[in-house]
Parts: sequence; structure tokens; C-alpha cells
Amino acid sequence: MSTKLSLKSKTKKIGNDVKEKFSKEHMKESFENKKEEVAVKTVYKRDNIKHFFQTANSNVFASMCLMGLGQLMYKQIVKGLIYLSFEILSIVYFVMYGGKAIYNFFTLGLITGDPWLEIAGDNSVVMMLMGILTWFIVVLTIVMYYTNIKDVYNTQIRVLKGGMPEKIGESLAQLADKKFYKTILALPLIGVLIFNVLPIIFMILIAFTDYGGDIVPPELISWVGLENFEKLATLGEIAPTFLKILSWNLLWAFSSTFINYALGLGLAILLNKKCVKGKAIWRGFPILAYAIPGFITLIGFKFMFSVGGPINQIISDAGGDVISFLGIDAKWTARAIGLVVNAWISVPTIMLLTTGILSNMNTDLYEAAEIDGASKRKQFFKITLPFVIFSTTPVLISQFIGNFNNFGIFYFLRGGLTLDGYFLASDTDLLINWLYNLSIDNNYYAIGAAISLVIFIITSAVSLGVYVRSDAYKKEDTFR
Amino acid sequence: MIKKNSKNVKLKRAASTSLTYAILIGVSIVFLFPCLWLILASFSKSGSIYSFDGFFPSEFSFDSFITLFTDTSSSGYNYPKWFLNTLFISVMSCIFSTLLVIATAYTVSRFEFKAKKPLMKTTLVLGMFPSFMGMTAVYILMTQFNLVNSHWGLILIYSCGAPMGYLVQKGFFDTIPTSIYEAARIDGASNAKVFRTITLPLSKPIIVFTALTSFTWPWSDFILPKLLLKEKDMYTVAVGLMNLGETEFSRFAAGAVFIAVPIVILYFFLIKYMISGMTAGAVKE
Repeated sequence: MSTKLSLKSKTKKIGNDVKEKFSKEHMKESFENKKEEVAVKTVYKRDNIKHFFQTANSNVFASMCLMGLGQLMYKQIVKGLIYLSFEILSIVYFVMYGGKAIYNFFTLGLITGDPWLEIAGDNSVVMMLMGILTWFIVVLTIVMYYTNIKDVYNTQIRVLKGGMPEKIGESLAQLADKKFYKTILALPLIGVLIFNVLPIIFMILIAFTDYGGDIVPPELISWVGLENFEKLATLGEIAPTFLKILSWNLLWAFSSTFINYALGLGLAILLNKKCVKGKAIWRGFPILAYAIPGFITLIGFKFMFSVGGPINQIISDAGGDVISFLGIDAKWTARAIGLVVNAWISVPTIMLLTTGILSNMNTDLYEAAEIDGASKRKQFFKITLPFVIFSTTPVLISQFIGNFNNFGIFYFLRGGLTLDGYFLASDTDLLINWLYNLSIDNNYYAIGAAISLVIFIITSAVSLGVYVRSDAYKKEDTFR
Repeated sequence: MIKKNSKNVKLKRAASTSLTYAILIGVSIVFLFPCLWLILASFSKSGSIYSFDGFFPSEFSFDSFITLFTDTSSSGYNYPKWFLNTLFISVMSCIFSTLLVIATAYTVSRFEFKAKKPLMKTTLVLGMFPSFMGMTAVYILMTQFNLVNSHWGLILIYSCGAPMGYLVQKGFFDTIPTSIYEAARIDGASNAKVFRTITLPLSKPIIVFTALTSFTWPWSDFILPKLLLKEKDMYTVAVGLMNLGETEFSRFAAGAVFIAVPIVILYFFLIKYMISGMTAGAVKE
């Protein structure tokens, strides 16, 4: 044991020595590079605006007046033309569409359409969407203008240092190598901007309008400030529904996360025991549940618990009364079934995750504990549990968010049910189900958007709180 | 005294082992039973859940599978068409999503640039918004692009949304030691070449994981297709099967078994990669 240890520390020491040596050489090299840079910086402080205006030459000012002009004066024809055509295109865009789109964004339309009088009318929703897109283009134009000036200024410095203006071939080579990240990230970024960021911004803005109910195009939508949030807190039918659903949603999220995590971890530890033979086979059954598409599982369970389903058949064959497990009055049975079904779906995921983490665990700790005479139970609570919780905190957070927004479970088990005392919802619905009922099935967009924001605030606050308090954040290196 | 003690320990150990096995058998039954129930139901002769004998059908036949694939026009349940639709959408979005996610994750993991930290923080914040909060907006966007009721519209949404989940893959790439890259860079390899000759072979597990998850998402998603696909012939299997009632239970079961089996087989073959991918995402940072 001791020889093993000393060997380990020895190899570690050698490794450290090599590292130190390497990093020293590395530092020397980078230091020399720095020196060169500092020399240039004393003349051209790139970040100082005042300094920039004092040193910039006429080419730079040319580019400030007309994008690409400075590059053209440096005989960087292709690059200059690209910037120039961008400026022309953006001017054309803003004159033809952009300016109007920004104006429409603020008014959300002035003319109500009328098919009788053949007035086309304004579509507020499209106007808002196009307005947001135009804001994106405004930002893009500013960024392009900035890079254009930066680029020509860099060329100026380069030339003063005795170099030649960068040729187009060199610029392209840079994009394929050192600045490869720009090339690669461009496409995903555009996609995410249009299909994730744009819709989210749109819905955030919708929360501050009166869109929905009777007010859908061709009616005009207008900005209403915080009215929707006031409605959530005070309005006769909506406020009680909101509070009831919110409290059930929180109860659901905490209890289902706890149940799934405890069962999944328990199963992983059980399968990790030395006495269990044929682990792959035992593990196969949960994996089966994990692999089946969720909607099949959920519809299957709905049939199983339905009034005519197998469980009720057995009950009635035995002479009992048929039980409506998921019916209108089945508040708590339906909730319990939801928890069970959710466990059936999620426990395998947790099991697989914790299995991976347990197999990465350092067994030395247990040996030491055994020598010190710690009982199995103590080993579990003092070594295994802290380690697993430590390394799965992010999973715990994402599980919590996933459960908080678990749309599928009650959509399939009790979909479409609306109850008295609830506004377009049932007593098992979570906020996300209510959001769906309101905005997709019944066109209450603005209220739906306000609920989305509430969901966002809750989930982000909880996960941030858990993360900051967690050991994973506090003592980063404990188990490394 | 010592003998008695060791006997005691042995007895205790045997008891704990048999308890472990008892629990494992119980767990296995819990997971296996619903699957078995669905599979057997798909071979039911009558098809309606009401004619079952408790959990299991009273008579067996292949009828449900035969009607599933032959009865396509009369009832509006065109299962073969749905299956092909689902396959097309899943394969296409699997290819695009995997490419985009791997490229994004690799880039963010390997390159140092000013916008990196803000980019990662923004991703985390965006991930906190409920997933279909923007659904209405996406729908309006799709009407503007004229992509409602089109499979390409779905593929576009799935592929463009995929890079949002790049943090898992980034976690994996972070574990590949940078010294390998530095050595290759010193030897004069370009970034593109480093990616091709070093990163790709090393990152097979995470690529398999990404491909599998981005295939199963469209394969089992029901929200987006339900929102965007209007004609019955355009449906995916998930949307189509949702509309089957209790009297057509075995038809649902047959359809479900038919699309679940390929996925289950894939998972069993690739479970090693799934676990490594999942744990890569689970580690903090």
C-alpha cells in the first residue's frame, strides 16, 4: 500500500517537473511575443478612442464615411467591395423596408382591415415579428460598421510596421485556420437566432400586449404594459387558477425529482454490488424502458388505467366497482399515477447516469474506510452519497427543470380535461399544460406569454439558487 | 467462537444477496411487464381493449399488423406513409443537427475568443425558457416562410434548435487533453486538419450519442408535428397514433411496437456510447 502510494506520488512529481519546464519555455516564448506587441501598443493603443482619433489616417476616416472605401484605398479590392455592397444593401433595406418596420414595431399598425370596404389593414403580429428582425439587422449593421473601421485601422498599423495590406487570399486563409471559429459558428448562430432567440423575444414582447382572445389579426394589437401580469395576480377567474396550478406545479417538480433521483440512485447502487451476477442483463430491463419513445409509454399507460382498461377489468371480474383512475374526480389518484408513470420513464435515465459516475469513483476511499472500521451504511452516507450528489448537481438541476416543465405526462394521461374552478385547466395540469391550453388551443396568447415568463423566472431562480449553494460550485476541486 | 461468527457472517451475506436479487427481479418485472403487455396486445385478434381477458388478449393473430400496413385509404390511417414521413424527417434532422452540434461544441471547446463566456451564459439562460414558449412565434414564422404543412419546415426547426444543446458535447471535448492539439499545431497542422485527423477519431462516442439523440427526438416528438402538419397524409407516426381510440387498441399497439423496436435495438447496441455521452454532459463546468 505504502509503496504503491509513494510510486504514485513519484510519478506525479515527475509529471509536475515536466509540466513546469514546459510552461517555463512556453512563458518565455509568449513573453517575447508580448514584448513585440507592447512596442506597437505604445504607439497605437487600440482600445483608446481619443488616441484612435489622433492617430487614424485618412483611409480610416474614408472607411468611416463610406464602408469599404479605406480598404479600396489600400487596394484591398474584394474586401472593400464586400463592405461597400453591404452598406449599399443596408441603406436600400432601411429606406425601402427597415425604417417603416421600426415605425410599425412601435405602433403595431394603425389601419384596421375591413373586407367590406376592401381595406387591407395592418397585421400587428407580422409587424412585430418583422420589427424584431429589423432590430437584428440594425445590430448587424452596427457590428459590420465597427469591424470595418477596426479592419482598416489594423491595416494602417500593419503598413506602418512595414508590412503590406493583407491580400484577400491571406484573409480567407485566416478564416480557414486561426479564425476558424467564425466560419464554423456562423451557421448555427443564424439558425439559433431565427428559430430560438427571435421567438423567445417575440413572446417576451407579447406578454406586454393585449394579443389574444378577441384581439387577433385583423384586429389591431397594442402595447399594454404590465396589464397581463396584473391579471394573473388579480383577475377573477385567472388568478385562483394560477395560484392552484403554481402550487401543484412546485409540489410536483420537487416530489418527482426526489422520487426519480432516489430510485435511480438506489437501483444503480444495487446493480453496482459485487454479489450481483449478469449485470448487463439486469440493466437491460430499465434500458428497455428508457429506449421506448415517450409518447408510446404515456398512451400505453393511459390505456392501462382507463375505465375499460385491464386493471378495471380485473377489478370488475373480482366483483369490485370500476374505478375512474384518471377521470374528473380523480384528483389525487391521477396525480399519484402521474408520479409513478414519470418514475417509470425517468428512473432508467438517472440509473444510467449514476452508474457511469459510480464506475468513475475512486475505490481507495472505501479501502481506507474499511480499514478504519466504518460500517457499510456509514460508507454510503459519508462517501458515496456526497460524491454522487456532488457530481450530479447539474443533472439534478436539469431534471428539476425538466419535471417542472413536464408537458407530456398529463397531456397524455388527462389531456383536454377542463374542470370547474379552473380557467381552461384541470387539477393535474402543470403551468406548461395551462400555457398550451391557453395559447395554442384557445388563442390567449398574451396571458400565455406572461405565464411563460413566470415559469422562466421560477426555474431560473431555483436552478441558480441550487447551483450557487451546491458543493459543486463552492469547492470545485474536492473530488478531482 | 470464530467458526460460529463466520457462519453468521455467511448467513448474513446470503440473506443480503437474496434480498438484492429479489429487488432486482421485482424491478425487472416492473419495467418488462408494460412492454410485454403492449407487444402481446399487438397480436390480439379482436383489436378492441374491451375484449381482453384482464391484461392479455384472449385470442392471438397477426391481423393488427396486416391491417396496419394494408388498410391505408379507407380510414385515413395511412401508417406506411406516416412511417416513411417519420423516417425522412428523423434521418434528415439527425444529419443536420449532428453536424451543427458537433461543430459548435468543438469550436467553443477548442477556441479562445472574447465572446465565448457570454455565449455560454446566454445559452444557459435561453435554455431556462419553457421549450415551446416560442411555439406561436415559430408557427407565425413558418407561415411567413410558407413552410407550414411541410416536412422541410420541421427539419429546419429541429436542426436549427439543436445547437442550443451543445454544452453536453463541449463537456466531452473539454476532456480531450489540449497537449495533443498543441503538438499537432506545432507540427504545422491547420485547424481543419486537426479536426479531421485527431478530433474525429477521438470523439466517436460523443458523435454516436449526438446522432442517436438527434434521431430519436423527431422520431418521438408529437408537439411540433401536431402544430405544423395539417393533412393526415403528412402526419408522423406519433401524431397519427395519438388519434387511435380504445376500440383500436391493438392497432395502436402494433404501430407502437413497430416504431419502438428499431429504436430499442439501436439503444441496446449503442448503450456504451449513450452512457459516455450522458456522463460527459453530467460533469460540471
